[in-house]
Order: sequence, then structure tokens, then C-alpha cells
Amino acid sequence: MIQVKDLTFSYTGSPPYVLNQLNLEIPDGAYVSIVGENGCGKSTLMRLILKFLKPTSGQILSSAKRIGYVPQKNSASEDGFPITVFEMMDSYRKLLKLKDKQETDANLQKVGMLPQKKKKMSDLSGGQCQKVRIARALLGSPDLLLLDEPSTGIDMQSQQEIYALLKALNQKNRITVIAIEHNLNAAVENSTAIYHIINGRGHLCTPQRYAKEFLNSSKGENFYA
Amino acid sequence: MLEYSFMQNAFWASIFISILCPCIGIFLVLRRYSMIGDTLSHASLAGVTAGLLCGQNPVLGAFVFTSFCGALIEFLRNSFKKYTDLILTVVLALSVGVAITIISSGKLHANADSFMFGSILTVTQTDLIMIGVLSILSVLTLTFLYHPLLYIAYDEEAAMIAGVKVKTINYIFSILVAAAISVSIRIVGVLVLSSMIALPVATALQLGKSFRQTLLLSITFSIVDIMTGLFASYFLNVAPGGFTALVSVAVLALVLLGKKVAVTVRTSLENQHSA
Repeated sequence: MIQVKDLTFSYTGSPPYVLNQLNLEIPDGAYVSIVGENGCGKSTLMRLILKFLKPTSGQILSSAKRIGYVPQKNSASEDGFPITVFEMMDSYRKLLKLKDKQETDANLQKVGMLPQKKKKMSDLSGGQCQKVRIARALLGSPDLLLLDEPSTGIDMQSQQEIYALLKALNQKNRITVIAIEHNLNAAVENSTAIYHIINGRGHLCTPQRYAKEFLNSSKGENFYA
Repeated sequence: MLEYSFMQNAFWASIFISILCPCIGIFLVLRRYSMIGDTLSHASLAGVTAGLLCGQNPVLGAFVFTSFCGALIEFLRNSFKKYTDLILTVVLALSVGVAITIISSGKLHANADSFMFGSILTVTQTDLIMIGVLSILSVLTLTFLYHPLLYIAYDEEAAMIAGVKVKTINYIFSILVAAAISVSIRIVGVLVLSSMIALPVATALQLGKSFRQTLLLSITFSIVDIMTGLFASYFLNVAPGGFTALVSVAVLALVLLGKKVAVTVRTSLENQHSA
């Protein structure tokens, strides 16, 4: 379970706060999509959960034994980097000190990327790269999977495959999924809950309510008032 | 020519350099930090002059001061997050300032010029031992840190999640860069040293199909470049640093040309086949 208690954060340590007094409980096995406008603090919240940033006040408690993280595509480091799919996976397995060498191939098989294991990452399409990143995040059998915009810049076919995979991981393997989403339809279709950040405040609701009332609402920022 | 002891020393020093430099260079290039090599090679000149001034081995002086500057760059990275290129300017100013002040003071009772351009005549037995020890230690450390360094270069956040102590490894890597530069200045010289770190890697990147293959190609090209430069400098009686840099650029140009020709031939064959 992830418990966010009175979480406040600003990059300077003083107001204005990017995130202001957030409280959130994510039970094991949930699939939560974090949504909101650009710059609202979604990525900041994820970086706080990952402990890349320290809260200005409040705390985040996590019972996750292992976290898998799928970052947004980082073109600066990936473009032209001479690394194969297998090297990218196997090197990470070694960093995690996992002894089972078969795990690399097994995870690539899960996402349907085993036939491409000798290819360079820079020669793959956006969708294929994302599948490999998901396979890497699954190394060591995590109980919490964090994804930063899993479908950005990816073709429709690959998007459907990725969401089907995430849903299966969540429902069959009981992996808790937290995803930052710009794809609101995907968020509504796949999530068990949606966490909407507006003006530094967070609001948890069901996907149905979010779709029915917020997406079609003209109330905008005052919806939660 | 290898019957001369100075040539034997230069030969073995060159072997060490040609293995160590690309091993460091591949991580610098892939992290877009090539210019750090340039800055630290200038720092090594300050270390050489300080070493000569104190009557110590100049290679040791270069290693100590360059390590200090490498660590300083890492430390200042936190203070200049948005202007990281400024850090290199600060360290460059400090290094060149120290070097020029010592040289112009007239208190130096040895010639620092050979370190500017490189020389095959000046590698002493003591230097060779120093170069050998630093190189072997550095390559062993690199082997031990291979996967963390690869991941810090490829995806730093993923490395952090896997438990890699990124800051500590960055400091260790700074010292390794300092070691590579210190062992190279005798032969290659300060002025073209950074090209020895980056150019074999730039050439290998044109052909490498994986990280491991790119690393091995970098070492191969580095051996070709430095050995050609070393032997040519003996016969042509020129400084090895300059000639090695010319060979490196020529090899890179040949590989780029060969690649272009191969693509053109393949395309025309495919067109013929489809027609």
C-alpha cells in the first residue's frame, strides 16, 4: 500500500507549493492513473514516491518490496546509444543482483520482444522501446509498477498492446500500477481509480465519475470545490 | 627501433594508454561529457608544473591535481545545475591559472614543454611503473563498475532505482578520468589529449552494433591510432601527440567514407534486384 500523508512540496522549500497537503491511499492491487494539466505536479508526485525528491513536509509510506519504474522516453540519452535490447535488460538484471539468467528472456517474452533482443534500442520503434522498458521494470517481480506517460508518442496499435499488458499485469499478477496519464480515455478504461491534480491539490475519484462528470463538465477547476 | 630503452618505455606506455583511454572515453562520450576530458587535460598541466616545482614525479602531480579537479567538477554540479558548462570554465580558469603562474614564475627547474606536445623520449622507468600501476588499477575498477557506469550513462534514474550509488560512482569515475589523463600526458601531450579519449570512441560508434562491441572497437581503433602515431613520430621526428591526433581524424574520416560507400553500393544493389 502507498500512503501519502499531508504531502507538501516546492522546489525552493517555500511557497508557492507545487503540491499542497496531498492525502492519498493506494491499496495493493490498484491501478491508479494520475491526471492533470501540464505542470500540475504529476511527475513531481511520482518523483517523490520514487524518493528522487524529498517532501517539503508530510510523508509517503510504501509497503512495496520492489518497485519497477518505466520512465518517459529520454531521447537525449537513448538516441544513438549503442546498446542492444539484451544488454539493456541483462545489465539491469545484474544491477538488481538477480541470479536467474533466464529472467531476462522470460520478461522479454512476456512483452513479446524476445525476437528483437539482438537489436539496438535506437533501432526500435517508440512502442517497441516502451515494451522493453516495461520488461525491464518487471525484472525482480516488482509489486509496484510506476509509469510516466506510458503511451506518449506511441502508435495506436502499440498503445492498445501496452494497456492490455498493463491491465493483465494488474489483474492477473496483482501488481499495483500507478501511471501518469495524458491519455484520458486510457486512464478511464484501465484504472480502478483516478487521481486528479489541480492547483497543487489532489482529488481521488472513480474512472466512471471522472468520465461522466469531469470530462463532460464545464465546471473545470471548480468541479471539486 | 624497439632496441632503444626509451622506445620500449614509450611502447608499453602507449599500450596502457590505448586500452585505458577508450574505456574511459566511451562513458564520457555517451554521457555527452567529452569536454570534461579537455578541461581535465589542462588541469593535468597544472599538476605537472606543481609536481615539478615540488620535486615530485610530474605524472603523480598530474594525477593528484586532475583528481582534485575531477572531484571539484562533480561537487560544483550541484551548485550550477542549469549552467553545467560554466563549471568547466571555472575549473579551466583555475588550472590554466596555476600552470601559467608556476611556469612564468621562473622557479621551475625543468622543462614542461614536452608535456604540452607529448614526447617519446621522456618516458622514464619510474613513469612507466606509475603509468602501468594507474592503468591496471583503473581498468580493474572499470571492470568492477561496468554495469553501474553503463546504466548511469544510459538511464541514470533506472540506475538509482536499482540501488546504484550514482553520486559515489560519479566521484570514482572522476578519479578514473584523472588517471587516464595523467598516464597519457607523457606520450600524447596536454593539447590533444582529449581527442585520444573521444576520437576512437567516435569512430567505433559508426560501426558498433552493441555496447560491448563498441567498447572493443574503441580499444582497437585507439591501439591503431596511438601505435601509428608513436612509430610515425619516431621516423618523422615529430611530436607523437600531434601525429596521433592526425591519424585518429584520418581513421574516423576513412570509416565515415567507407560507411557511406557501403550504403550507396547496398542501395544500388537493392534497386537493381527490385528492378
